[in-house]
Amino acid sequence: MIGNKSIKMVILRNIPIILFIAIFLIFGIFSPKFISVDSFKNILVSSSYVGIIAIGIMFVLLTGGIDLSIGSVMYLSAAVTGLSVQKLQVPTVLAIIIGLGIATLVGVINAFLIVILDILPFITTLGMMVFVKAVGLLMTKSESVKLPKVITSMGSQSVLGIPMPIIIFAIIILFGVLFLGKTKLGRQIYAVGNDVEEARKAGIHTKKVLFTCYVMSALFAGIGGIISVAQIGIVNAAFGKGEEFNAIAAAVLGGVSLAGGVGKVFPGVVLGAVMIQMIQAGLVFMQTDLYKQPLISAGIIFLAVFLDSIRSKYIAKAEKRNIRNENKGLQ
Amino acid sequence: MSEYVLELRHIAKSFFGIPALKDVTWGLKKGELLSLIGENGAGKSTMMNIVGGILPADSGELYINGELYRPTQPSDAKKAGIAFIHQELNLFTNLSINDNVFIDSFPRIGVLPLIKKTEMSRRVKKALEAVDLHVSPDTIVEKLSPGERQLVEIAKALSSDPQILIFDEPTTSLTNKETEKLFGIIDKLREEGKSIIYISHILADVERLSDQIIVLRDGCITDEDKKENYTIDRMIQSMIGREISQLYPTKTNKPSKETALSVKGLSQSGIVHNINMDIHKGEVVGMFGLMGSGRSELARIIYGLDPYEAGEIIINGEKVEKHNPQKAIEHKIAFVTENRREEGLLMEFSILDNLSLVSVPSSAKGKLKIVNDECVKNKAEDIVNKLKVKCPPIENNPAKSMSGGNQQKVVIGKWLLTDPEVFIVDEPTRGIDVGAKYEVYNIINQLATDKKAVWVISSELEELMGICDKILVMGNGEIHGELAREEFDKENILKAAFNQTVEDKTEKGGR
Amino acid sequence: MSALKSETYRQKKPAKQVIQRIFLSEYFILIMSLIYFVCVIPFAPRIISQSNLLNLLSNLWPLLVIAIGQTFVLLLGGIDLSQVSIIGVTSVIGTALMSNSFDPAIFEGTPLWGWLIHENGGPLAGSAASVPVSIFVMLIIGTLIGLFNGFFVARFKMPPFMVTLVTQMFLLSFAIYLTQSRNIMGLPESFSAFGTKSLGFIPYAAIFVVLIALGAHFILAKMVLGKWIYASGENEVASVVSGVPTKKVTLFCYAMSGFCAAAGSAIYSARLGMGRPTLGEDIMMDIVGAAIIGGTSLSGGKGKVMWTLFGVFFFTLLFNTLNLFNLSYFTINIVKGLVILAAAFLDVIRTKLMTRMSIVNGAGV
Repeated sequence: MIGNKSIKMVILRNIPIILFIAIFLIFGIFSPKFISVDSFKNILVSSSYVGIIAIGIMFVLLTGGIDLSIGSVMYLSAAVTGLSVQKLQVPTVLAIIIGLGIATLVGVINAFLIVILDILPFITTLGMMVFVKAVGLLMTKSESVKLPKVITSMGSQSVLGIPMPIIIFAIIILFGVLFLGKTKLGRQIYAVGNDVEEARKAGIHTKKVLFTCYVMSALFAGIGGIISVAQIGIVNAAFGKGEEFNAIAAAVLGGVSLAGGVGKVFPGVVLGAVMIQMIQAGLVFMQTDLYKQPLISAGIIFLAVFLDSIRSKYIAKAEKRNIRNENKGLQ
Repeated sequence: MSEYVLELRHIAKSFFGIPALKDVTWGLKKGELLSLIGENGAGKSTMMNIVGGILPADSGELYINGELYRPTQPSDAKKAGIAFIHQELNLFTNLSINDNVFIDSFPRIGVLPLIKKTEMSRRVKKALEAVDLHVSPDTIVEKLSPGERQLVEIAKALSSDPQILIFDEPTTSLTNKETEKLFGIIDKLREEGKSIIYISHILADVERLSDQIIVLRDGCITDEDKKENYTIDRMIQSMIGREISQLYPTKTNKPSKETALSVKGLSQSGIVHNINMDIHKGEVVGMFGLMGSGRSELARIIYGLDPYEAGEIIINGEKVEKHNPQKAIEHKIAFVTENRREEGLLMEFSILDNLSLVSVPSSAKGKLKIVNDECVKNKAEDIVNKLKVKCPPIENNPAKSMSGGNQQKVVIGKWLLTDPEVFIVDEPTRGIDVGAKYEVYNIINQLATDKKAVWVISSELEELMGICDKILVMGNGEIHGELAREEFDKENILKAAFNQTVEDKTEKGGR
Repeated sequence: MSALKSETYRQKKPAKQVIQRIFLSEYFILIMSLIYFVCVIPFAPRIISQSNLLNLLSNLWPLLVIAIGQTFVLLLGGIDLSQVSIIGVTSVIGTALMSNSFDPAIFEGTPLWGWLIHENGGPLAGSAASVPVSIFVMLIIGTLIGLFNGFFVARFKMPPFMVTLVTQMFLLSFAIYLTQSRNIMGLPESFSAFGTKSLGFIPYAAIFVVLIALGAHFILAKMVLGKWIYASGENEVASVVSGVPTKKVTLFCYAMSGFCAAAGSAIYSARLGMGRPTLGEDIMMDIVGAAIIGGTSLSGGKGKVMWTLFGVFFFTLLFNTLNLFNLSYFTINIVKGLVILAAAFLDVIRTKLMTRMSIVNGAGV
């Protein structure tokens, strides 16, 4: 009986991975070509930008906040990078730095409004979502912006057979794992997400922690934007639209709690991001009707979120503290 | 060099003109265990907050090893070698033991910004060994039992190598076995020369552990002596300072033979086991038990908030099947929860809204259930007058604008408006002052006189003795004993009640 | 309260007192809007022309009814992101039912073809009751979608943000799938009339929305259900203990939100004269923004239909005037974002001020 229960718990704890494998296999059954190194490489390349912005928004979600502005930040930083080269003949590297600088600036403004002025994260980033996108469109006059070859070719370049986007994705993952797992500030983010008041009492500089998270979120959105454009080659007016929701969905699928304090970069969020792209890639492989694709992927995501909520409820119930210590207790 | 490691001289502190501490002076010797006892609101926590740098004292000085000590923030206390082990566990449940211990001072790898995990684990392991807890330092706190968490708190306190440890009600969430283990650790720490301040309501524990005992009442030290010279009676006498009869209204209720609430063989695995109890009309039944004994959980089950697996709940002779709060209210049960802020009141809402919340459907008009504003308001004002609630105009002042005692009266009042037959009252006097307590007791007495059945749950035995016709003792999710009012002899019953738990301890140890 | 307030202010100068009182009043946004309106007249006299005022009002109704629905969910401390897609789905289905003709070249490939829509229109084509029945069906569908959201929030305690986000994504793609991203045309005259014509002096849309708004106001202000909604939003645990059927209350609020979104969709579709799957795509910001500017709290327990009306009025007025100034779409959006931020900040200050006031009041008692 106890063995049975613990097997159940193991399954419950690993639902994201199990779901991931199940989806992979199901697509594999329908189109065997799907299970190949090449197709997996493609999925990884196309999921790299979602993964990066999801890791970014994860910082904010860990504190129990939210950032709806990242789709617009993706657009703005990619557009600014492109315009800098196109209109101002700035060297590409400098242009990227300017683009990421703008993204960081948006992050600082978000952080200032939320942390210093005390405005709710939802409203702040909703306002910034509209504002930032409008500023970007004003700059581009809503015309498409081409990015220099150096950047766009990056999407297809590879080092030692590994495509560039995957390498950058890997670096970001490594950074996220180290930062959240191995630095003081990283651990304190989790503490703040668990209980802000307690964290303050424990001597944590909570404002600094929150500030960092919103800046990180915007900066990663900027990086994700440029990586994404590197693959598409062009920034059109719709670029970045709705990506904040993809990022949130990827993070939640990867086990990040919207209430804060819970979630891991690896495998968690990475898995979530790859899963979202895999569903889309799998549907393409199966040559599903174009209109049905988003329908099915939304359905699968709903199922995943639903299973996840049942899972956490069940785990909480199973681990609920017992009053009567019938066979537990300290040894 | 002073003979004291920590000394308080003429410490005084007031809140909004009301004194919480009046000219308090005492000292803690090296290697000594000093117990602080006193009722809620006697000034214990204010004093500890001053020592911990959370509150500034209005006047007086603090000395550590004879040197003036002026803490302005919690970290000052840590630097001075004082460590707190709090009553409510202040751990981040989503983090590992390692992280919790070092959350504000992680060791680094050289100049790199990375945490040096090996050193962290080494130090935490040592601290965990000292408290005899054999789990990995990487364990997430969420997975630990309350007892284990308490040990982690102590390990955390020890990691900064303090000279003074302050334990604030450390056993409230522990099982008896865990409590014994904790006491073993405390003894060991004392042998190592640490000085310890121990704050507790459980006088038997205080008697077992202390070298020196200080009793506080109304912000003053009323008694201070070596442990050897104390009896539990003397402690209680000094804590309360007056005859118990003065604290409680004269009982006027006459319990009838008619059963209002009857529970038979009620069980829910892990929570309560085989509960049998009867509450008669016009009777005040007390339930004594410590936090985590299952008393509040039992009340929640009977009120329909939580499920039960076996047994029967019978209200006024009618068996209640699987139910919920709405059904319980239909059956004329009222439930005043222990947690007034979170479960009792809508703190931001008006007093009127709070008073009318439960009863508003009953006076609503028509199929659309239109609120009868005038009727609701009149009824609410009647109750406010009847219960002598001191409050601003009820229509546009929030519940939070009242004092704790008046808030509690409003909670009772909102239930009175539903005209209930059975009152479940959990910790009715927690966090309210002595005067208000008397009024709450008076209301309970009046309810019973009006032939209502009242079930009072409390961890303050004295108050149960003062107002109840019968006391049930609860522990480990079971009812351990039942005492009728005739058996209420101040000294003997207190001893019996404490012995009961002591006996229970040995009994369970053998299980 | 007023007696206490005047006591607190007695020492202060009258002018400052009046300003403070306006600032803290629940009519603050309305007063601001009116002041703004008057100030704009010299710069854009066209604002008081009859055609502009009518235009302003016609923009007000659909947003108002949708925002009222959102208010119910916000009162619970939840959010309904799916409203924007409910607008699209109901627009498509409602118009498909009443349309008089479909071009086979365009619609033959859609999943609706053959069983629901034909060359000579939808199932209600030509029927005298086609418009009211179609609108009724739209409202039912909106309500059902709301119930679906509410079910998962109430029964499984899933975060409202996630539930409604995924239904939003699903429904948007569903609406696009239904028509293969085409717009549905050929609607009966009377449907357009519903969106653009008046009954005497009062537009049909206004009658429709005002009726719903009055109903919503009645529920929140007069009915036990309203008390329960506020209580559940303020403190769910305490409400459960007090016998409030919080699950049913949650279901109701989400259903109301879906119902109102569908009502808004009917007006938008009628004004546009077609069914469009992406109809509500860009107005999430306007809905939540208007409700919040009106004073409804995102954390629940605080809000009124009247406040939402003020918020919507302010929003509609602002964009009406920005349009009059011939500003570009982008500039308008920049201002939109800034206005939201400014309003939210103002709300932070007001809340802090009010907390301080209530402490003063409390101490005085």
